[in-house]
Amino acid sequence: GLPPQALVDDTEDVSLDFGSEEELALRKARIRHPLATFFHLFFRVSAVVTYLFCDWFSNSFVACFVTILLLLSFDFWSVKNVTGRLLVGLRWWNQIDEDGKSHWVFEARKVPTIAASTEAEARIFWLGLIICPVIWTIFFFSTLFSLKLKWLALVIAGISLQTANLYGYIHCKLGGQKTISRVTSRLFGTTDVPKRQSRRISEDGTEERGKTGFR
Amino acid sequence: FPGLADVSISQDIPVEGEITVPVGSHSPDEDYSTLDEPVKDTIMRDLKAVGKKFVHVMYPRKSSALLRDWDLWGPLVLCVSLALMLQGGSADSKDDGGPQFAEVFVIIWFGAVVITLNSKLLGGTISFFQSLCVLGYCVMPLTVAMLVCRLVLLAGTGTVSFVIRLIVVGAMFGWSTLASTAFLADSQPPNRKALVVYPIFLFYFVISWMILTFTPQ
Repeated sequence: GLPPQALVDDTEDVSLDFGSEEELALRKARIRHPLATFFHLFFRVSAVVTYLFCDWFSNSFVACFVTILLLLSFDFWSVKNVTGRLLVGLRWWNQIDEDGKSHWVFEARKVPTIAASTEAEARIFWLGLIICPVIWTIFFFSTLFSLKLKWLALVIAGISLQTANLYGYIHCKLGGQKTISRVTSRLFGTTDVPKRQSRRISEDGTEERGKTGFR
Repeated sequence: FPGLADVSISQDIPVEGEITVPVGSHSPDEDYSTLDEPVKDTIMRDLKAVGKKFVHVMYPRKSSALLRDWDLWGPLVLCVSLALMLQGGSADSKDDGGPQFAEVFVIIWFGAVVITLNSKLLGGTISFFQSLCVLGYCVMPLTVAMLVCRLVLLAGTGTVSFVIRLIVVGAMFGWSTLASTAFLADSQPPNRKALVVYPIFLFYFVISWMILTFTPQ
C-alpha cells in the first residue's frame, strides 16, 4: 500500500526567545548589583574599622570623629535610599501630608522584575544590616565601661543610625498596615497569536487518510 | 486521481486556539513610587532639597518646603562646621580640642532634642524630625557669624574687633531666632507661643555666647 504520509506535525519544536543575551546573563548571575552590594558593606565596615583603629590613622580625635560620622551618615543614606531598593526591593520613608501629620511609609516590591535581587544579595544585605548595630552596641558598652566618654556621642549616633535602618527594613519586610504594595502586575497577559492554519478533519479522518494525502 | 471524487468533507472543523505568552515588560511605575529610579536621580533630588532649604533659611518666608520635606543633612553639615571652627585652634596641643568639639556637638543636638520635646509636650502639631530639621537649618546664620568672627580675629583681638563681632553675632542671633520662630511657632496653640519661643531663644543664645567668647589660642 501507500506509505503513510507524515502529516505536517504541529508539535515540532519552536524556540521561544526569552530575551536578549544580556538578560540571560543577568538571570544567571548570582550578584546582579555589584556596586550596590559593595557600597552597602563599604561604608558600614569602614566606619567600624576606623573606630577600632583610629589611633593608627591619626592622632587627632576630631579628624576621626568627623570621618566616622560622615561614613555613618553616608551609610545611612545609601542603605536607606539605594541599596535597600536595589538589593531587596524594599523602601521606607517619612511623608508629611497637607495637614502636617507625619506618616511613615513602608514599600515593598511585590512583582519581581528581570533585574530583581538574588538570594546571595539578599543574604548579604540582611547580614550587613543586622551585624553592624550589634557591633556598635558592643562598642557602646566598651566605651562606657572603659570611661572613654568622649567617644560616647559618636557611638550613640552610630547605634541610632544603624538601628533606624534595621527597624525600617524589618518593618517593610514584615509588611505592616502601612505597606503600600505594588498593585499592578502586567507581567502576564494574553495575546492573539496568528491563527494556525485551519485543519480540516473529516469525521472519517482515519479512514480517509490515504485518499486525502497529497502526492 | 480516481479516488478523490469520492472524497467529500462534510464539515469543516477549524482548529484554532490561543497561547498565553509572558509579555516580558517592566510595569510602568506609579508616580509616587521611587523604587526603580536610577541612583543619580535619588542623589540629585536630595541635594536639591537640601539646597532649597538653605535658601529658605536665608529668606524666611512662610513656605512649607522646610517643614514638609525635612532632612537632617543640613543640620549635620552646619553642626560639624561650627564645631570645627569652635575648637580651639592649635593642632599640635596635647589637648587637641577633642572634648570641646564633642561638647559643641552634644550641646547642639541635645539642645535641639530638648526643645523639640518641650514643644511636643506643650501640644505642638509639628513632628519630631521636622522640628529638629528647622532648628538645625536655622543655625546657619550663626555659622556665618562664626566664619566672620574668625576672619575678624585674624585681623586683631582689640576692642574694635570685639565690637564688630558683637554686632555681627547679635544680628545673626536675631536672624536665627526669628527664622526658627517663624516656622515653629505656628504649630503651637496661641497662648503657649511664648513658652515655646523662650527655649529657642535660649538655645541660640548659648550658641552665640560660645561664638562670641571664642578666642584662638
